[in-house]
Amino acid sequence: MTTLAQPPKLGLPATIIGVCVGIILTAIGVVFGFLQGLSVQLIILSAIATLAAFVWGWRFVLGQFVSDANSVPEGETSEGRKVWLQFRPAIFGLIAILALFLVLSLTIEGFFNVWNVVSLLIILTIIVLTRTLGRHFQENRSAFIGIMVLAGLFSIGSMNIEGFASANNIKSMLLFAAFLGIASVGQTLVALLGGLDLSIPFIIGAANVGLLYLIGLGVPPWLAVLIVLVIGILLGVINGFLSYKLQGQALIVTLGTGFAISGGVQIVTSIGTAYGGNVFGTVPNWLSNLAAMNGSTFGLPVPPVICIWALIVIVLIVGMRLTVYGRYLYALGVNRTSAKRVMISELTYWVMMYAISGFFAALTGGLLLGWSGGGFIGVGDQYLFLTLAAVVVGGTSLLGGQGGYGFTVIGVLVLQVLSSFLIGIGLDFEWQQFIFGLLILPMVALYARSPHIRTQI
Amino acid sequence: MSDAPANAGLDSVRLAQGGRANPFLLVPITLFFLLLGLAVLRSPSLMSSAGIGSAIIVATPLILATYALMASVISGRGTVDLSIGPLIGFINVTLIQLYGAGILTNPIAIFAYAIFIGALYQFLFSLIVIYIRVQPIIVSLSGYLALSGINLVILPRPGGVAPQFMADWGLGTSIFSPVFAILVIASIAWLLFTRTAFYTHLRLMGSDERAAYTSGVPIYVVRIGAHLISGAFAGLAAITFTGLISSGDPSQGTTYTLIAVTALVLGGASLAGGRGGVFGSFLGASNLYLITFVLATFNFGAVQSFVTNLAYGSILVISLLLTLIIPFIQRHINNFSPLLYFIGLGVVAMGVILHATNDRDPRTRTAPVDDTVVMQPIAPIALEELYVGPLEVAAPTAMEEELRQEAGPLVLVALLLIAIAVFVRIAVYQSNRRTIAPAVAVVVAALVLFGAYLMRAGGPFAPNNSEPTATEESR
Repeated sequence: MTTLAQPPKLGLPATIIGVCVGIILTAIGVVFGFLQGLSVQLIILSAIATLAAFVWGWRFVLGQFVSDANSVPEGETSEGRKVWLQFRPAIFGLIAILALFLVLSLTIEGFFNVWNVVSLLIILTIIVLTRTLGRHFQENRSAFIGIMVLAGLFSIGSMNIEGFASANNIKSMLLFAAFLGIASVGQTLVALLGGLDLSIPFIIGAANVGLLYLIGLGVPPWLAVLIVLVIGILLGVINGFLSYKLQGQALIVTLGTGFAISGGVQIVTSIGTAYGGNVFGTVPNWLSNLAAMNGSTFGLPVPPVICIWALIVIVLIVGMRLTVYGRYLYALGVNRTSAKRVMISELTYWVMMYAISGFFAALTGGLLLGWSGGGFIGVGDQYLFLTLAAVVVGGTSLLGGQGGYGFTVIGVLVLQVLSSFLIGIGLDFEWQQFIFGLLILPMVALYARSPHIRTQI
Repeated sequence: MSDAPANAGLDSVRLAQGGRANPFLLVPITLFFLLLGLAVLRSPSLMSSAGIGSAIIVATPLILATYALMASVISGRGTVDLSIGPLIGFINVTLIQLYGAGILTNPIAIFAYAIFIGALYQFLFSLIVIYIRVQPIIVSLSGYLALSGINLVILPRPGGVAPQFMADWGLGTSIFSPVFAILVIASIAWLLFTRTAFYTHLRLMGSDERAAYTSGVPIYVVRIGAHLISGAFAGLAAITFTGLISSGDPSQGTTYTLIAVTALVLGGASLAGGRGGVFGSFLGASNLYLITFVLATFNFGAVQSFVTNLAYGSILVISLLLTLIIPFIQRHINNFSPLLYFIGLGVVAMGVILHATNDRDPRTRTAPVDDTVVMQPIAPIALEELYVGPLEVAAPTAMEEELRQEAGPLVLVALLLIAIAVFVRIAVYQSNRRTIAPAVAVVVAALVLFGAYLMRAGGPFAPNNSEPTATEESR
């Protein structure tokens, strides 16, 4: 960040283009303002803000490129051409965003207001910052970008949506984030080894139904929880063993065991009942309190599951940074051959990580039972891709060795704030999912691009 | 292969043949015939014109979806297209809506539309993978979420009417339906494609992209091509899917993702890229269909779908584990031919089918049909019957009798075809050795032809004395 001390000098064409684009942008804003009959003060204010922010952003973006470009020897081409070639992607991206904004303003009634303009500016700022500041972070770039996106989303949300930043809403967001976060523990650890665990949603569903079934049979709830967790660990051990033996097939192996687990548990639970997969029973109060929205931790009005999650986060982050187990895990993920040479047992780690994954999946299933109060095998279905998305958006590489649970926490929060935001602006589930899908790609593309093939040889 | 320097010439021949052989087909082929035999024993009506016809109608969308997945999986980089199911659903719902709006009515236009949309989506997919350089699985995840969301927007709940010509396909009364034609054409198109240099490039890129790049393969073009082929298959899958359900369904198509991935792996393809084929994919998808079919013949009541899930999962894991022993098999049998293995097991399966459709237990034949009610108290079973019993089928009803008349010539013709295939195979294989084998093969062929002659001429083996061309009539 120290390189930004002196203001960058821009060439003449770049300045002219920047000013022109800025003026056009401002003019569009002013015209729309008058068309909508806003007060003149507001229009002038937003016009000045638009112009100033744009010019600043323009200088900032181009400055980064200019400082890079100084080392490039002077070529034959003219200056305008060179500028065009250098900033082509940036200009295209800018034009695309502006065009999208324009189209939305033209088509949707009442879309063009001050808050949306401010939101646009925030988005632009995020993009500019991530493209510029982000390159100074070699190690934790994804975390930086994730936090930027999180802050931007949150500020946009609290501006546009009534009650978005209220304590209640934040509590509910944290609650759902805690479920997703606990479910993603295993996915993160397994991804660090270079594997995948798609059996998580099935184990969640199976634990959810199985726990209620055991309680319904008359097993003491604490023992039932223990049994379910132990079974989760055992299933994880099986997963880990199979995935290790069948290298590179983790995706399909865990999918297969997942199918088998969910089918098997449902068969067991529906023997002797006429409901075919639906289990009924009463959830003990302490379990409901653990995960319910109005639960309390030692008198504090915070659902205990959030505290549990916080504890897990701290233990995992510290553990993976400081303990030898954590370092060995990274060693295995980065280069398994050299890890083997220093006597790290691959099989142990695969089995251990998958066992942890099974444990946390079963835990999530149990907690979700406390939250909903009824068993349902499909309760984990959305976590099939959400855990993967959280890991990927956070910045943990699916190829292993890079990332960590802290990154996944950021990914989980981004996903949760995004989905709350989309619900808040009144989108249906289908549209939410659509936008979700479309947004994962650019978010990942901001930092997780693989190098060109010619650099890999 | 290493311990026989004297037989170097012969070994090189073997090596050349073994190079083409794919030992990973061992598991799917075995499973296929196992399940086929079981299915036929459980329900002989599968082996009728209507039975096979409806099986083809139901299984074809899955098979084509597996082909679509296969084409992109071969291209490497772990391109497991999770969005294939939603893509099929997307084409389905847009097709139904456009047809409902009166825009798409011409069959040719419908086909062109489906294939175009599939190819367009996959084209975008490949461009993102190539130029933005994000891992393909993330692109497919993104596509999965986006498409399954937009499907529900386009068609909130199942409904709509398919074009009439497509709705007629779903009846499945005959083997030779348009769906069958689509399946055959798609398979043949892929087989023809495997003869091209493009396919060699594709496989090279799939197994080692860097090697392909350094040896001058235009990897971008190859990748885009693979995705375009995948998209075309997805379009065909969507058309047959629309024909199957005769309406639009925004969420049903989504389920094809997991099943198609399962089928692909069951068929011996490698998700890492470079290995996979139309034969294996066909077998994998058929196996999944047969599992569902066999399990459906057992009546599990309310837990039916759970048992199916359990069976899917366990068979998938077990078949994956079986691939671990393939290296050992390869060490001992150095010229495994999937074709010969297929034919060998095919003959056995044919025997089972013949038994199931034509053989009747003489003890049950005397009993009247209507008395065999399931709910009657069970009499003590004789030991002999206890061992043989489960394999024997019940006395033929009038319908089954007719079925048997119809199936007899079909089965015999199939046997004849298999015998000829075996003969050709042996003849080709033995042709460069000075042994007695060609003579034996010729004798066997003569015997087979003699058998065929007896059958055709209305001799003692003819199943139907009235009409020598019963096969053609039965269509």
